[in-house]
Amino acid sequence: MAIEVKVPDIGDFTDVPVVSVLVSAGDVVAAEDPLIEVESDKATMEVPSPAAGKVVEVKVSEGDAVSEGSLILMLEADDGAVEEAPAPKAETAAPAAPALAATPAPAAVTDAGFGKTHASPSVRAFARQLDVDLAKVNGSGRKGRILREDVTAFLKNSTAAAPAAGGVTQGGMGIPPIPAVDFSKFGPVEDVEMPRIKKLSGPALHRSWLNIPHVTHNDEADITDLDKYRKEMDTMAKEDGYRVTLLSFVIKASVSALKQHWEVNSSIHPDGDKLIKKDYYNIGFAADTPNGLVVPVIKDADRKGIVEISKDLMELSGKARAGVLKGPDMQGATFTISSLGGIGGTSFTPIVNAPEVAILGLTRSKMAPVWNGEEFVPRLMQPLSLSYDHRAIDGALAARFTVTLKTLLGDMRKLMW
Amino acid sequence: MDVKVPDIGDFSEVPVVSVLVSVGDTVAAEDPLIEIESDKATMEVPSPADGVVKDIKVAEGDNVSEGSLILVLEAEGAAEAPKAASPEAPAAPQAVAATGSAIGAGDVHAEVVVLGSGPGGYTAAFRAADLGKKVVLIEKDSSLGGVCLNVGCIPSKALLHSAKVITEAEEMAEHGISFSKPEVDLDKLRGWKESVVKQLTGGLGSLAKARKVQVVNGYGTFTGPNMIEVDNNGEKSTVSFDQCVIAAGSEPVTLPFIPHDDPRVIDSTGALELEDVPERLLVLGGGIIGLEMATVYDALGSKVTIVEFMDQIIPGADKDVVKPLHKRIEGRYEAILTKTKVTAVKATDAGLEVTMEDPKGEVVDTFDKVLVAVGRRPNGAKVNAAAAGVAVDERGFIAVDSQQRTGVPHIFAIGDVVGQPMLAHKAVHEGKVAAEVAAGHKRHFDARVIPSVAYTDPEVAWIGVTENQAKAEGMKVGKGVFPWAASGRSLSLGRSEGLTKLIFDEESERVIGAGIVGPNAGDLIAEVALAIEMGADAVDLGHTIHPHPTLSETVNFAAEMFEGTITDLMPPRKKK
Repeated sequence: MAIEVKVPDIGDFTDVPVVSVLVSAGDVVAAEDPLIEVESDKATMEVPSPAAGKVVEVKVSEGDAVSEGSLILMLEADDGAVEEAPAPKAETAAPAAPALAATPAPAAVTDAGFGKTHASPSVRAFARQLDVDLAKVNGSGRKGRILREDVTAFLKNSTAAAPAAGGVTQGGMGIPPIPAVDFSKFGPVEDVEMPRIKKLSGPALHRSWLNIPHVTHNDEADITDLDKYRKEMDTMAKEDGYRVTLLSFVIKASVSALKQHWEVNSSIHPDGDKLIKKDYYNIGFAADTPNGLVVPVIKDADRKGIVEISKDLMELSGKARAGVLKGPDMQGATFTISSLGGIGGTSFTPIVNAPEVAILGLTRSKMAPVWNGEEFVPRLMQPLSLSYDHRAIDGALAARFTVTLKTLLGDMRKLMW
Repeated sequence: MDVKVPDIGDFSEVPVVSVLVSVGDTVAAEDPLIEIESDKATMEVPSPADGVVKDIKVAEGDNVSEGSLILVLEAEGAAEAPKAASPEAPAAPQAVAATGSAIGAGDVHAEVVVLGSGPGGYTAAFRAADLGKKVVLIEKDSSLGGVCLNVGCIPSKALLHSAKVITEAEEMAEHGISFSKPEVDLDKLRGWKESVVKQLTGGLGSLAKARKVQVVNGYGTFTGPNMIEVDNNGEKSTVSFDQCVIAAGSEPVTLPFIPHDDPRVIDSTGALELEDVPERLLVLGGGIIGLEMATVYDALGSKVTIVEFMDQIIPGADKDVVKPLHKRIEGRYEAILTKTKVTAVKATDAGLEVTMEDPKGEVVDTFDKVLVAVGRRPNGAKVNAAAAGVAVDERGFIAVDSQQRTGVPHIFAIGDVVGQPMLAHKAVHEGKVAAEVAAGHKRHFDARVIPSVAYTDPEVAWIGVTENQAKAEGMKVGKGVFPWAASGRSLSLGRSEGLTKLIFDEESERVIGAGIVGPNAGDLIAEVALAIEMGADAVDLGHTIHPHPTLSETVNFAAEMFEGTITDLMPPRKKK
């Protein structure tokens, strides 16, 4: 049967414009799928579907002004599906599935805490509608009573704090927003959904970029000898079924450099007045996968040799490409390396992967004439781009760290030190 | 077996982005079950074993952590024995492997079927219909309304009103107004009671019709997770449903040592039938139901004896609140025997020979009738809920979550069948919650207190935290007690035994409980209910102007007794 989907309570707003209609008649939607986007002076809000079903008729169009209670669309809820006597899949409960989909998910509110709050029944019901855990809301009423406005304010703050997923180009930190442009005025366009990982990493990168005073220090390491050695090792490794890439050596060298400059391996204490010194060396490496960028972590890299690091790299990269990395595979990095060497480039500015304080970017190595005091000789040079958090690391330290790194890469024997 | 979220690293409360299996699916070990998402990546949770998915406990958008229950899997070759909900009251709802396998469309199909038309059931049905659902209401009896309307709250109140008129007329003699002894025409009284019942149940029928709620008469039992078979005196039909609300209620407890088939042994239903007025009536059970029926039969002329196993009548309420009632009926009834238990009832020609045991020893007495009112038993097992996969514990209760959902997400349960207190107003509230959740609303049972009332004379009402409970749980509470002897309105009613007691949280001074005894105590408790739900404190109640002279003032005065601002009495202590 068709149900009317109306604009729910959206706070104190009335007559807010519909900025986009995300579904059309005939679309199949799941419960909580966004139907339309409305815009207040504060933010854009999506109105989710109250149930799973099929859109019968859309009653609003972009630009319409709506208020609480305005009819958005008619939805043919899914729960009628049972009448079609679904084919018996198993002996148990084949028809249970459609009914299941129609029932909304239980809210992530702990009933115990919720039940102890100082809020009247109407405010409790209001909070339930919005999935707000009253236990987390501060009451502004007399004697700490939680008022309806407190619930709305809580929600507003938490939606504002939430990453602006979905690529809404809205300003944070008082930054003026980039105005939306109707590109179709200039030529044919198509909206392509971002891969899930990109949707997730976007806000994290934005957060780091906004919070961290970034500086990027560039240098070059002479890896002529190292590369020769690497190739020898790689030939042997191939027979064993793994490969040795430059990255293995850069990881090894980075660990040594980090040991000499512990600040680069640290994090800023949440208090802001301390550095957290870490006595472990877990090196993250950015891996390009069909689904987006992920950063698996080589744990305890200080206790691993080139062979083991190379094998770890192979395994984690394989997992990353297959999309089967587990949470722990991506946690706990103290320093990250982002290598674009296989593709090209001369230098770039990687974004520090907060709460780490530095990230090393690698672009393509190239043969370059190097003056050895008497003549120009061809040397294989590896560009190094170290972005760092200037609150934790001074420019001089960054330069020293990079010099250490390039010395190590330039003369592998020093790695033994 | 329960499948839980394994160790997923340091993440907690990560959202489920997709549920990859449905109930009934056969999965192999390592098959992905759900996909969850951390801020870094999406991860699949693989099945720990081969088996069949019995129930899914998460939905997309739910947040899960390590240890969160994902689904129930019947591992291959190792069907798990049905789990009964644990006897401790607020057990988590559970699902068991559905024993029924009926599928497809029934003779009738409902989006929401409500099993039982008591106050909870018809409320759920009507609310669901008002929210646009196609509703079928299944009722085993010929008239709607369940125990409450037909053989419970309503007919008993009709008789209690008659009883009250009789006793008040009697007592008016002391005030100089004497009536002659009333002549009781039992048939007429019964007829009047039945007319009240008929008016209400008939009204329910019209309300159902107006809402296009289809009433199916007969005894409904589950035959599958989406199917109920209805037996109407041998004529069977089936009702298939998308969602269901079990509102099957309860029935009086019977005891093995009592000859229940003897017509002189009656339960509350029998007592309301008003067959005769026995000369000597034994009421087994000093709870609300027994005491209300005792009030009726006492007024009609029976010599009443109450037997209660605990050390006080109405064991749920505080002793000081029950005392005025005890004192009054002690004077009117033949005996009130506490700490006494009945060990045998023998039917003889002379009457029912009852053996009782109190701390001093054994007593044998003979009564003309015995009313058994020792409690009610939920009907969970009688509807074969296991066929739908709904767990029923050994006492017949069905555990539900705060949305009234059983362990089977599309089946709800409300009222007596989900637990104590077995009260109509609780069932009604739960019925609304279930209906609204079934219609997709985000509703929960968030009420904090449920009032209880014994419509005895005087009435006894209590709510929230009792003193007994506070003591047992070591809570720090304060109280304000106002004796009605200082209420002009109470005295003018010719009654002075009443008492209004408010319990406050010592720290916040919010009212968290109350006990009231006296005429109309049941009406007075409603103000305290609102006060507790609104989080009112002693000052709120004290500074709210109550009309004078009313009994409602006693709530205001009790708050002032706590505050120490009372002027109609000497304040118990100087606080402010």
